Amino acid sequence: MKNKKKMSILTVLTLSASLLLAACGGGETEKKTSGTPKTPTKPKEKLEEKVVIYSPHGKDILSKFEQQFEAKYNIDVEWLDMGSQEVLDRIRSEKNNPQADIWWGAPSVNFDQAKDEGLLEPYKPSYASSLADGFHDPEWNWTGTSQTPEVIMYNSKEVKKEDAPKDWDELLDPKWKNKVIIRYPLASGTMRTIFSAIIYRDFKDGNDPQKGFDWLKKLDANTKEYSANPEMMYNKVAKGEGTISVWDMPDVVMLKETKNYPFDFVIPESGTPVLTEGIAKVKGAPHPKAAEAFYEFVNTPEAAQLLAKDFYRIPTRDDVKDLPDWITNTKIKPMDIDWKVFQKESDNWMKYWDENIKNGKKEIKQ
Amino acid sequence: MIKRDTRFTILLLIPVLLVLIAYVLYPSLRTFFESLHTEGGTSFQNYSDFFSQESKTNLEALWNSVYISVLSVIASALIGIPLAFIFNRYDFPGRGFFSTAAIMPIVLPSLVGVMAFMFLYGETGLVPNALKDLFGLKNVPFKIGGVSGILIVHAYTMYVYFYMTVSSAINKIDPSLEEAAYNLGANRFKVFWRVTFPLLTPAIVAASLLVFMISMASFSAPFLLAGGYRVLSLQIYFSKLNGDMEVAATQSVILSIVSIAFLLFMRWYQNRKDYRMASKGIGAHRSEVKNPILKWVMVLVGVIAVIILLLPHFTILLLSLVPDGTWTYQTYPSVFNIENYRLLLQDPNIFKPLKNSLLLAFIATFGNLIFGVLTSYLLVKRKFIGKNLVDILVMIPWALPATVIGMNLIFAFNEPSIFSFGNILVGTFWILPLAYFIRHIPLVVRSTNAVLEQLDDSIEEASRSLGAKWFYTFRRVILPIIMPGVLSGTLLAFVEAVGEFPTSVLLYTISNRPISIEIMNQLRMFNMGQAAAYGMIQIVLIAIVLFVSNKFFGVKAEQSLS
Repeated sequence: MKNKKKMSILTVLTLSASLLLAACGGGETEKKTSGTPKTPTKPKEKLEEKVVIYSPHGKDILSKFEQQFEAKYNIDVEWLDMGSQEVLDRIRSEKNNPQADIWWGAPSVNFDQAKDEGLLEPYKPSYASSLADGFHDPEWNWTGTSQTPEVIMYNSKEVKKEDAPKDWDELLDPKWKNKVIIRYPLASGTMRTIFSAIIYRDFKDGNDPQKGFDWLKKLDANTKEYSANPEMMYNKVAKGEGTISVWDMPDVVMLKETKNYPFDFVIPESGTPVLTEGIAKVKGAPHPKAAEAFYEFVNTPEAAQLLAKDFYRIPTRDDVKDLPDWITNTKIKPMDIDWKVFQKESDNWMKYWDENIKNGKKEIKQ
Repeated sequence: MIKRDTRFTILLLIPVLLVLIAYVLYPSLRTFFESLHTEGGTSFQNYSDFFSQESKTNLEALWNSVYISVLSVIASALIGIPLAFIFNRYDFPGRGFFSTAAIMPIVLPSLVGVMAFMFLYGETGLVPNALKDLFGLKNVPFKIGGVSGILIVHAYTMYVYFYMTVSSAINKIDPSLEEAAYNLGANRFKVFWRVTFPLLTPAIVAASLLVFMISMASFSAPFLLAGGYRVLSLQIYFSKLNGDMEVAATQSVILSIVSIAFLLFMRWYQNRKDYRMASKGIGAHRSEVKNPILKWVMVLVGVIAVIILLLPHFTILLLSLVPDGTWTYQTYPSVFNIENYRLLLQDPNIFKPLKNSLLLAFIATFGNLIFGVLTSYLLVKRKFIGKNLVDILVMIPWALPATVIGMNLIFAFNEPSIFSFGNILVGTFWILPLAYFIRHIPLVVRSTNAVLEQLDDSIEEASRSLGAKWFYTFRRVILPIIMPGVLSGTLLAFVEAVGEFPTSVLLYTISNRPISIEIMNQLRMFNMGQAAAYGMIQIVLIAIVLFVSNKFFGVKAEQSLS
């Protein structure tokens, strides 16, 4: 009995000791990381010891550039991979205490929104002259890194090329009922853009989104499921749970070429929204110098070429040579879009879609 | 002397009250004020919007939450109550093993459990596809998702609460009561309906309320399975994602009101006089199943049930052996090795979330240990005015859904406040340990209360009258006696903190990203193997803690969960 008691006291002591140690250890590492932001950014050339990236680009791209950047500058790169809307939310939540240095990748509308909320720090990169006017913010709050056309993707094992929908409106054909899988659009910049573009097609003439809403309602009727993230959507289309989706061209080409997914795509005949993906420096970035180094690093012509060849990104810089065939050979008809209107309206449109169009009950039955 | 004693109570009370006000009351109030915030100033506009909104999204979410919760209660009861009866009333080969296996769902952290169900029974899951291939079907025979998915996961994880409360109630029933009824000529059915069942009602009602509350707060299951189905806890998260902080605050307040109402109702019900019998020497009374056919049928059913119960655990184990990139669109995984565990130990990037989780949980639980023992001692052994208030403040984090606690912290600490010593906590390392700490206050306080209540006051008095100072008495007399109970509660808080998901997803930063967030990230990158390896670690941790508590402290730790 006595022995047992001693035992338990011993356990308590060792446990609390280790707890204490752990707590102290935590304090120290924390101090190290949060200590750096307080040092004012003197114009010395010494870069900070790390840089924090928020990005929806995915593990493959991010770890590739992480390795290259770390090799060149010996700066630790930390990245967090999440949807572009989630990045925006995170930067907004951390406004008073920024954690990220660079926001890499998101449609320009997201950046415009962040700019209006005062979340970005203007930075004019050294290669500014090679960017056309549409590919950067007038005040340089963000710049374009790549252009992303949206496409209709399909499972090439289940659907023959000639049967695949050729244009947006063909998606509404009843023969695709329960064949369409859509990435849940509220958290996805890509899907928000596609849906908003559909509404905008008719909105630009009469300032009335109703026709677009009706269109989306019909698409909802054909939709089998809304996936919580892109990977789930890929997986479901690849396994044939559904056969059709809408997504961006570079991702579809990449999955097809590198991961052997049975995917192919169609560029909608009537024109498609072409997004400008961008990069921006976060206001109050804790490691501003390293941030700028990273900003430049992922936008060199070599980086752009690598992104085009290995990751299927179509560059915005006009001075990149030796682009792969699929970029030079694909004819894309860009949809005429006023991104200002887009940005102003799209939140309300998406809210309306979520509340009034998305049919939650459909899933219940299946 | 009396005065000194009062002064001492106050001295102990001050830090407890300060912590409760700063980290429980103040954040809740901040959320409430945020919900009153509208463009035109302060009003209840957001609330009237909630109820009068043209599209009825919010009402629909509220209704769905209630609907799912009611169904979860029914489903859990239908599984848990019969199991409790069979295992406690009948004796057949393997009974002891089956009754232990029946509480196994509890070692599955919610996020990991949902993940296991997705890979087992989802449309691309292993079981439906195996059946499809086995019978050469064209489509998968069944799949879970949406409401059915959430419901099955809830039933699987929550029937345990019914099983445990009803089991202990059954063992308290005096068998002579039922025998008396038989002697008076009642048939089996009548005895059950008129004698046994009424005696079990309190346990059943308590379990129902508990399951209802947990389902209302459930986040992981809808997060992964809901598809387009709206529930309120998830809606809060989406509102925040969309940047509508006032709407998120309003939804949080409404969800809190429902939950707190249930907590109050539950306390009222538990404090009612119930008609338990006080007879002594009740022997566990199990009738052996004599009929050989019936006996082996029961064993067979038991074996099948155990397989179903443990399938999720095995799935996680199996998946954790599938290396990255070998299972993408193929129906079944084909490559197995321990690559994921090797990476976990060798790749610092993959090890970091595990280290973070352990560190965060250590810090939070250390706080819980000290705060819990102090608070519990005050509540049980000291007299002071306003004890009820402290008691309620302690219970609030238990009633509040985790999503709401996360939102509360965001509203309270995204600007400097005196409670964070003038710092902004959102976006720092410290917000997560704080969140875990708050979440587990009730757990540690309650498990400590249970042991302290059994401690005779005279022991403390004896020590004091022999001249020991209070602190000496506390350290050398009280603490050693209550330690097993305290430790089992604390260890449980620790493993819960390691697996915590809903508050983590709202509050994590890149520097303190815990396991559960990394599981989501790995799922997102479709690296199920690594996600499952993280899950396996959580399962093993919980299993060790439950085992240690039972074996060395003689405490049924799983009961503190309810």
